[in-house]
Amino acid sequence: MGMDTTLRIKPDIEFIEFLKKDSGSDLSICMQCGSCTAVCDLSPEENPFPRKEMIWASWGLRDRLMADEDIWLCHHCGDCSTTCPRDVRPADVMASLRSYSYRHFARPRFLGKWLQSPKYLPLLILFPVLIIAGIIALAGTLKIPEGPVDYSHFFPHGWLNGSFSILVLILFGAMLGSVRRFFLGLKAHGSRLREKNGGLIKRVWKIFIQKDFKSCTTNRYRYIGHYMVFGGFVMLLVVTLFAILATIFFEYPMPFFHPVKIAGNLAGLSLAAGIIFLAINRFKNPSGSKAGQYTDWFFLVNLFLLSISGGIVELARFMDWTPWAYYLYFLHLVLVWLVVLYLPYTKFAHVIFRTLAMLK
Amino acid sequence: MSEEMKNTGVFICTSCGIKNCVDTSALAKIAEGSVKFGNCIEGVNLCHPGGLEVIEKSILDGKLSKILIAACSPRVKTEEFSFNPDILVERVNLREHVVGSHEAGDEDTLMLAEDMMRMGLAKLANSSIPIPFIPEEISNEILVLGAGITGITAAIDGARAGYKVLLVEKKEQAGGWLQELYKQIPSSPPWSKPQNPVLGQALESLKKQENISLYTGTEILEISGQPGAFWVRMNHAGQEKSVLVGAIVLATGWEPYDPSGLEPFGYSNQPDVITSLELELMAGNGGFNRPSNGKPVKNVLFVQCAGSRDKDHLPYCSSVCCGTSLKQAQYIREAHPDANVFIIYKDIRMPGMSENYYLEVQKDSRIFLTKGEVSGIISEENQLIVNVRDSLVHSNMDISVDLVVLAVGMTPRDSMDLKLAYRQGPGLPTLKYEFPDSHFICFPYETRRTGIYAAGAVRAPLSISESIEDAGGAMLKAIQCLEATKRGEAVHPRSGDQSYPELYMQRCTDCKRCTEECPFGAYDETEKGTPLPNPSRCRRCGICMGSCPERIISFKDFSIQAVSAMIKAVEVPDEFEEKPRVLAFVCENDAYPAFDMAGMKGLKYSPFVRIIPVRCIGSVNKVWISDALSRGFDGIMQIGCKPGDDYQCHFIQGSELTETRGENLQETLQTMMLEPERIRTEFIEIDEYDKIPDLINDYMEEIENIGPNPFKDL
Repeated sequence: MGMDTTLRIKPDIEFIEFLKKDSGSDLSICMQCGSCTAVCDLSPEENPFPRKEMIWASWGLRDRLMADEDIWLCHHCGDCSTTCPRDVRPADVMASLRSYSYRHFARPRFLGKWLQSPKYLPLLILFPVLIIAGIIALAGTLKIPEGPVDYSHFFPHGWLNGSFSILVLILFGAMLGSVRRFFLGLKAHGSRLREKNGGLIKRVWKIFIQKDFKSCTTNRYRYIGHYMVFGGFVMLLVVTLFAILATIFFEYPMPFFHPVKIAGNLAGLSLAAGIIFLAINRFKNPSGSKAGQYTDWFFLVNLFLLSISGGIVELARFMDWTPWAYYLYFLHLVLVWLVVLYLPYTKFAHVIFRTLAMLK
Repeated sequence: MSEEMKNTGVFICTSCGIKNCVDTSALAKIAEGSVKFGNCIEGVNLCHPGGLEVIEKSILDGKLSKILIAACSPRVKTEEFSFNPDILVERVNLREHVVGSHEAGDEDTLMLAEDMMRMGLAKLANSSIPIPFIPEEISNEILVLGAGITGITAAIDGARAGYKVLLVEKKEQAGGWLQELYKQIPSSPPWSKPQNPVLGQALESLKKQENISLYTGTEILEISGQPGAFWVRMNHAGQEKSVLVGAIVLATGWEPYDPSGLEPFGYSNQPDVITSLELELMAGNGGFNRPSNGKPVKNVLFVQCAGSRDKDHLPYCSSVCCGTSLKQAQYIREAHPDANVFIIYKDIRMPGMSENYYLEVQKDSRIFLTKGEVSGIISEENQLIVNVRDSLVHSNMDISVDLVVLAVGMTPRDSMDLKLAYRQGPGLPTLKYEFPDSHFICFPYETRRTGIYAAGAVRAPLSISESIEDAGGAMLKAIQCLEATKRGEAVHPRSGDQSYPELYMQRCTDCKRCTEECPFGAYDETEKGTPLPNPSRCRRCGICMGSCPERIISFKDFSIQAVSAMIKAVEVPDEFEEKPRVLAFVCENDAYPAFDMAGMKGLKYSPFVRIIPVRCIGSVNKVWISDALSRGFDGIMQIGCKPGDDYQCHFIQGSELTETRGENLQETLQTMMLEPERIRTEFIEIDEYDKIPDLINDYMEEIENIGPNPFKDL
C-alpha cells in the first residue's frame, strides 16, 4: 500500500480540531495501542484499521487519510469504541472522517461549507424551493388547481420527471467527479485498493445482504434498521422508475391496490421505520455517536421526512385535502431535492464510496 | 569423654514425625559416653515450653557450654533455641532432611540420621563461641559524598536520626543537577504542569540542621580504614583535612550519556541537534533559540532513548527521559502557541503515578507522539529533516523541524572519586550496567564495599523523588552498619554474626589468594603481599577460607578443622554395592533452604548423601574435598546459588569462584588418579526445590556407573 514512499509530515491542526469537534472524540489522547484494530471484525489482516487512521487523525495527516480506502470498509459497529482503553471512540472518528471526505471531494466546495453548520440551513432549503417554484412557473401551473386533487395539474408529469431526471443525472455526474478525485488521491499516495475476496457477484451479494453489518458485535441489531432503510430505498427507486414509465405508457396515478403501489407504500414504511430504528439505536447504544455530526443528521432527518411526507401526500390525494395537499406535495418535492441535490456532500454519498470500496 | 565435649549436652526431639521415622534412642546412643548429657526428649516438643525447660535446666545443672539440638532445620525456631549467649548451639536437621525426604523405618534412613548426629557432634567439638571484633576507635559521624538532592536529603535524614554528618561536595555550590533545572516533572496532582525544583526547600532544611557540616569545593584525597573507623583525607580550599567517619553514603549522582557516538543523529556536526540537558539550560536562560542562527525555535522533535535500551550504547532504560521530554515539550508549546512538537519513542515509560502526567501532556493537539526509529537527520533549507522509520504513522516519514532534542540517558558517576586506599582499588566494583549496586533486588544500597552505601542516580537511574526516597534508605543502611560495627556484628546478609575470619599468620605464604578473591575487599596487604585483614569490612562469607591453600583462615564456629572433623565423623561403609556415599557441600543461603523445602514437600531423594551446610559455596576449601575422597566418599557435590548476571549468590562471587576453582580440583583428582565425575558442581535457585530429587538421584546413578572410590579400603 505504498508504505515504502516517504511521507512528509505536515500536521493540519484545523483538521484535527474539526475531527475532535465533529466526532466528539479527544483523539489526541489515543495511546496508539491498537486495541481497536484487534477487536475489529471487519479489519483485514494486512494493514489493518482503525489504529493507523487514529494515529493519522491525531497527527493531522489529512491528505493521507483522504487517500485511505479503509474508512469506507468500516461500518461503524462501535466494537472499537467499546474496547478503547482511553475512550477515544475510534468508530466515531472514522464516521467523522467519512463525513469530512464527502465534502473534501465534492465540488463546488462552498456547498460543503454550507452543509457543515446549521446556520446555512435556510439557504440550503431556499435553493430547491426557488428552483422547483421556477420549474413549475415555467410549466405555467404555479397556482393551486381546482377540483379533486391531481398533482399533475400542479406539476405536469413531463416537467416533473424531466427536471428530476436531469437533476439526478447531474448529481450522479458530480458524484463521479468526487470518486475520480478520490482515486487520483490514492494514486498520488502510491496506494492501491485492497485485494478483495471472492468474485464480483459474490461481492455484490455481500452488499445486498449487508453481510458486514452482521459482523458487528457491539451493535448487533443495527443491521436490521439499516437493512430496512437500504431495502426500502432500493425498492422506492424501482417503484419510481416504474412510475415514470407509467406516466408515459400506462395509467398514472396507479390505484391503491396496484402491486407496484403496494410495494411503494411498504418500501416507504420500511424506510421511515428503519430510520427511527437507527435513530433510537444511536441514542440508546452506549457506543453510539455522542457527537453532533450535523451533516449526518441533516441527511437522516431529510430522508425520514421525505418518506413520511410521501405517505401523507398520498393520503392527501385520496382524502382530497385541497389546498393542503398541494402545499404538502411542494414540501415533499423540496425534500426530494434536499436529499438528492446535496448527495455528494452528505452521508448519502456513502452509497457510492462504500459500494466502490467494497466492489473494486 | 574428650575434654572439649565435657560440657556438651545433646537433645533429640521426638516430635514432628521424628520418632516414627528413626529410632531416636539409637541416635541418643551415639551421643552417650561422648558427652555429658545425651537426652531424647519424649512426649513433648523440644521447642515447646516443657522441652525448653528441660534444656535450660540441663544447661544450669550440668554447667553446659555447648548443646546439640537434633530437631528441625536451623533455619526455623531460631528464637526458641537461643539461650544464654555463652552457649554454643549446633542444630541437626532431622525433620526436614531426614523425616521429610527419606523412608521411615529404613535402615539407610537411620544410618543417615546417625551420621548427621556424628557430624553435628564433630562440628561442636571443634567450634567455640565467637569473640566479636570491635575497632578500637569508632566514629559516630557519617560521610555523605555529593551534595545533590540525594546527598542533601541523606544528610538531613542522618542528622534527624541523631548522627553527625559530614557532607562533602566537589563543586563550589551544593545542589547538584537540580541547580540547572528550569522546572521538574510534576510529582503530585494535578500532574498538568512542570513544577518548580524542590532544591530550594532542601537547601533551607539543610541550613537548619546543626549536626551537618557542609564542605563545598572539597575533594576527597583518600579514604582508608573500615566501617566504624574510616579515615577520610580531603582537600578543602587548599587545606588538607583529615576526619574519622563511621560509615559512608555515596551520592555522587549521574552524568548524561554522550550522544556523539550515535550515528544517525549527527550530534557532533549539527548545531541544532542538542541534548535534553542543553535544552533545559536554554529554558533556564529564558528562551529557545536555534544554536545555528540564533533565530527562535518553533517546531521541535524529541528523540527518545537516544542511545538508551541499545545494546551497543546504554543497554538500560533511565526511566526519566520520557518524563523530561514531555516536560520540555510543554516548555516549547508554552513559548510558541503554534509550535508543533514531535516525540519519537521506543515506548513511553512513565513509572508509577507519573503516567498521569503523560495523560495530561497528550491532550495537547500539537504534541505528536509515536513509536518509531529516527534513522537520520539532514539539514535542508535551514531546516532539519528528520527521517523516521518503522513508525506507527508510516514506515518511512520525514519531519521538518527547527531543533532536534536527544533525550539521553543517565550514567553513574565514577566511584573512583572515593579514592579508597583498598588493595582491590580506589572505586567500587560494578554490577550490571556499570552501577555499583551489590544486588539490585535483595540488598539495595549495598555496594561491594561494606560500610559504603550508594544512593540516588549513582546507584541506579532514578527520578528526583525516587532519589529523595533512596537517600533515606541508604542513610538507614549506613546507620545500621555503624551500630552493628559497634557491637562487632556483620551487617548483612549474615546480620548479627559476631564471628570473623582469623588467620594463623605464621603459616601464611603471602600467596595473595585471600586478598584477591575476597568479593568485598576486606583484605589489604603489605608490600610483600601479606594479608592485612579488616574484620569490620568482612561479610563473614568464608570465601577467603575457601581460597587459602595453607588452610590458615577459619572462624571460631566454622573452621577448616571443624568441617574436616565432620567429614571424618561419617561412617563410610566398606561395601560399595549397597551403600555408596556422597558428600554434598550445600550453600546455606539458597540451596540449603531449597533442600528444606524439598523435605517439607516430602520429596524423596537418595539417603546416601551427607550434607554439610556452608556459608557460601565459595567457602569450600580444597582440603575438605581431598579429606572426603581419602575418607572413601564416592562422590562430592558442591551445590551453590545461581551465578551470572541475574546472580543470586549472596556473596556475589562465591558461585563463580567455585566454577574457576573447579579446574584446580580436577588437578587434585588427577593426582589421586580419580575420575573427574567424582566432583560435581550444581547451582540451584531457592525455589527450585522440586529439582532436588533429580539432581541427587541423577548424580547417584552416575556414581554407581563409575564404581566405588578406590580409597575406600585404605
